Amino acid sequence: MQALKLGDGETFRGEGILAVTKALLQSGVSYVGGYQGAPVSHLLDVLVDAEDIIGDLGVHLETCTNEASAAAMLGASINYPLRGAVTWKSIVGTNVAADALSNLASPGVVGGVMIILGEDYGEGASVIQERSYAYAMKSSIWLLDPRPDLPTIVRMVEEGFELSEASHAPVMMELRIRACHVTGEFKTKANRRAAFSGKNRLPGPPRFDYGRLAHPPVIFTQERRKVAERLPAAQHFIRARKLNEVIAGDLAEIGIIALGGLTNGVLRALERLDLADLYGVSRVPIYVLNVAFPLVPEELHEFCAGKRAVLVVEEGSPDYVEQAVNVELRRADMTTRVLGKGALPRAGEYTSEVLLNGLACFIAETRPAGIDADAIAARAKSLLARKTQATAALGDIPARPPNFCTGCPERPVFSAIKLMQRELGPTHISADIGCHSFATFAPFSLGNSILGYGMSLASAAAVTANMERRPIAVMGDGGFWHNGLVTGVASNLFNKGDGVLIVMKNGYASATGQQYLPSSAASRLGAQSGMSIEQTLRSLGVKWLRTVRSYSVAKMTKTLKAAMQTAERGLKVIIADGECQLARQRRVRTEEAEKLKRGARVIKVRFGIDEEICTGDHSCIRLSGCPSLTVKPSPDPLRSDPVATVIESCVGCGLCGEVAHAAVLCPSFYRAEVIRNPNWWDRALHRARQAIIGAFTARGEAPA
Amino acid sequence: MSGTRPISILIAALGGEGGGVLTDWIVAAAAEVGFPVQSTSIPGVAQRTGATTYYIEIVPVAGGELPARPVLALAPGIGDVDIVLASELLEAGRTIAGDFVTPDRTLMIASNARSYLVVEKMAMGDGRYESTRLIKAIETNTQRHLLIDMAALASQSGAMVNAVMLGAIAGCGRLPIPADAFERAIRADAKAVAANLRGFRAGLDAAGTAAPPRGNGRAIAQQSRDGAALDELERDISVPAPAHDVVLAGVRRLAAYQDIAYARLYLDRLARVRAADARANAGGLLVRETARHLAVRMSYEDVIRVAQAKIDPARIARIRAELGVKPGEPFRVTEFLKPGIEELCSLFPPRLATRILAFAERRGLSERLHWGMEVSTTSVGGFLRVWLLAKLRPWRRKSHRFHEEQHSIEAWLGRVIAAARLSADLALEVAECARLIKGYGDTLKRGSANYRLIETRIIDPVLGGRMPPARGLDAIASSRAAALADPEGEALTRCLAEIEAQGSASIAAE
Repeated sequence: MQALKLGDGETFRGEGILAVTKALLQSGVSYVGGYQGAPVSHLLDVLVDAEDIIGDLGVHLETCTNEASAAAMLGASINYPLRGAVTWKSIVGTNVAADALSNLASPGVVGGVMIILGEDYGEGASVIQERSYAYAMKSSIWLLDPRPDLPTIVRMVEEGFELSEASHAPVMMELRIRACHVTGEFKTKANRRAAFSGKNRLPGPPRFDYGRLAHPPVIFTQERRKVAERLPAAQHFIRARKLNEVIAGDLAEIGIIALGGLTNGVLRALERLDLADLYGVSRVPIYVLNVAFPLVPEELHEFCAGKRAVLVVEEGSPDYVEQAVNVELRRADMTTRVLGKGALPRAGEYTSEVLLNGLACFIAETRPAGIDADAIAARAKSLLARKTQATAALGDIPARPPNFCTGCPERPVFSAIKLMQRELGPTHISADIGCHSFATFAPFSLGNSILGYGMSLASAAAVTANMERRPIAVMGDGGFWHNGLVTGVASNLFNKGDGVLIVMKNGYASATGQQYLPSSAASRLGAQSGMSIEQTLRSLGVKWLRTVRSYSVAKMTKTLKAAMQTAERGLKVIIADGECQLARQRRVRTEEAEKLKRGARVIKVRFGIDEEICTGDHSCIRLSGCPSLTVKPSPDPLRSDPVATVIESCVGCGLCGEVAHAAVLCPSFYRAEVIRNPNWWDRALHRARQAIIGAFTARGEAPA
Repeated sequence: MSGTRPISILIAALGGEGGGVLTDWIVAAAAEVGFPVQSTSIPGVAQRTGATTYYIEIVPVAGGELPARPVLALAPGIGDVDIVLASELLEAGRTIAGDFVTPDRTLMIASNARSYLVVEKMAMGDGRYESTRLIKAIETNTQRHLLIDMAALASQSGAMVNAVMLGAIAGCGRLPIPADAFERAIRADAKAVAANLRGFRAGLDAAGTAAPPRGNGRAIAQQSRDGAALDELERDISVPAPAHDVVLAGVRRLAAYQDIAYARLYLDRLARVRAADARANAGGLLVRETARHLAVRMSYEDVIRVAQAKIDPARIARIRAELGVKPGEPFRVTEFLKPGIEELCSLFPPRLATRILAFAERRGLSERLHWGMEVSTTSVGGFLRVWLLAKLRPWRRKSHRFHEEQHSIEAWLGRVIAAARLSADLALEVAECARLIKGYGDTLKRGSANYRLIETRIIDPVLGGRMPPARGLDAIASSRAAALADPEGEALTRCLAEIEAQGSASIAAE
């Protein structure tokens, strides 16, 4: 955090996303905002933690309730010389923000606008695989995709603002998850206070100017400006400032055109083929596109001049850059052959393996003079050859997807749904985005569709109308406030819909790192916002509303059955109430440690299983899936199946016992409590009990 | 164009194990000695106990001495990893399957402790992935490997596993970074320093002397019990050597479960199996396996047995240890019991029980009638309730369930012996089917029903000569596996249908 205060010429050491934050402050932003989501949640968290620092600079911060409100914030830059930055997870967040983005991009901006997007393919991805590039193209928003190295990322943020102002267009910067978390260093500049900000407010609005509105008839002029004025301005700036890089190489007849974010991977693959060194010197010339959109034709022509063939390296589909390169070369009547998708896969993450393979193909295909193409092909083959052997050794190792944390208040709700379905039969489960989507994995495997954040109820509307049993829509409080309230609840009530909605009220946006919500017990500003899910639903007109402590599996099952079976039509909402255990433990652990130090009375609870009573059927695990509830070899020499066991990490949430009762499992479960720093009464009572019980066990022959 | 090469480290861990902190420690230590270093991670997507990885590249030359700033990769290269550091055995295997491990280059530092996947844990029998297979893959695919029980070291030193991992990599001899640089990284963090240093040193020492992989074999517990009668009975045991330890354990178990006479009944029953074993020259294996299952079946789980186990002083001692109860510290133990009408009736005399159960069945009560109770066995009242139940042991012989069980045990045993006439393997398969009958309530009902299905539709046809033994052998094995595949019994139904389809087909062919 202190790194954000560094002045001129000092050295910043840390993660990419923190470097972005520092770069924003160095660029003199007046306002920042966003909505959390991997991999940029951390950017927002840093801003919140650094609120005092940015406050001193007069920077206004908003933790928005969704990406649309974050994008709309940028409206401040349409009329005023205010620099602003917002962040969210792409592609999903950009979809939510799309309406505001179009209306922002059409009139264009006076103050620089920077939108930081987290976007990913393959391993790093947690949402649908789509490219934000499409939004950049259709809305004339420039898209930066910097080399994943701190000095470049910082430079792109700073000059990105200038690009935005020079061309009057918003700018997006795309960061992959590994770039967000890459560690490194850069030379800092002092933070800059904006000309206008909370510290030095604007005198007032400019004279009325219809031209600044995204409204007919001026939208027609604005559309022309996008292509006739802003695009050339941007291309001129990009060229003048050398935002894109060219790595010269002696194999001049071929070249690689790579998106900035993929450059390190390309260089490493070349190094392994003996075509580059550790310091980024390459024998194959590389045109590094730190600006993914727009393309700068002159630069492209210069790079391709005299080249027989180039390879375009861009992740994901469609192959926008490859298409653009082909068009520009054709227009310039250049005959350079363009390879891209084909040599490289059309979809998916460009891992080291993929790049190694693709580059080897490119070399083999183009056979440039001065190197032994066959030797390189052979080298790549030998590097990739082992794959089969390794898979032969182990076959497919079963996946280990994320799971509900130990003691999670959402898990019991799905135990209850499973028990309810045992009696009433399966029903359509409309899942949502959030931790609760982990219920789609074993042991629950519950969920028939996921339509986006806060969309579960809306996505069940047509199912309700066409299915015998009522569908169940599951939604987190995060999704509820993000847009489930309007898109789901209001729409359902407005249409006199039916169905069951479960709202997981755990008090935070948990999946993205326990950010506060409108209904959280506290807020980043300290006091509670005062917004309540229950009151909101009542005021909207929800009649059937029950709040159930989420750990009471029996009660939850009963309530679910009631909701499914009642003759009463209309939306039935069950609020599953239980604080996020991660957040709770963080609080409780420190409190207890402090109490113990003080010598105050503390009761430590843990659940356990009697290994001689458990017979190794594991129904308890099929109904819970708690990480602390696992198996171990049976201590019974006569049994082969492993027995269930509760490990140290247990937080004593009580679900084991609840499930054992609700599902009539087995008598193996017990709750054990120890009283630390007991008072005299605890001691006396315990001693008395021990004495009497001891007498009995001593009398009778020692039981088995 | 090669020359200086970075040391690449791939860390495989589970979300929540502190892999991020571990990565920062390593980066800090490398930076302290002036080595260019870069790390990346993919949190968020693999949080919450899911599999995740961290990747670090360290250029083992002081930055000043390099011609230029090195360009480091953000993701591990296939076959381009020097050190794999895994907190869990299966995750170590995953890096091999992902092909990041090469025999010419990679040092694998892995924990041989397992953290089981949900799919492994939720199996109705034993769904665990073979650790031996993983260890073999590690031995054959790495240049060098250190297998350490990091989980044990962590809990012993009261630290998180990440501290142990740091110690292990610091002590592996592949990083030209002094151990105290890592210690300083821990100190600089100023979080749980003492515990982390304990964990670090545990890992450091372990790396010096890598522990051998943990075996899964268990020695048979020798819970020696007093009583001359039992000693005499134990002396009477005359079974083939391979079966002796199992039979001994069985005798002791049943003497404790009921009485000496019951243990003797066990031996008498085994005598018949012994003859069958000899006839089929199964070399004592049939006796051993049957003895194992017979002892378990004869000590079936009922209220009395549960009560016995719950008030066993040894159990309380175990719980105290688990909970870390210090001398004089008060503690409570609360049991979650929910006996149903069936458990209750199992204690009644046969006639009464059958009447009540029939009535309950007619009224559809047997499903619904359960008494959920939380009994504190550390309170006098609670203890006495359980103690009294345990005292019902002599009464057990007169109970409904006892009669039922003995009857079905005899039926099963008879089939084992009959099968032995056809082949030892067949008899073993039939014996093994007893494994399906276990547990309480629904589990027990489901298991027994599945057993009966296999008995009537495969075992009996084989014994009755209506199915060739060779096919019966496979049929029993596969249907038993199917019975343990899903609680809904879909797999078993499918399996039995297929077997019978084959049967009719082969008959048609004849």
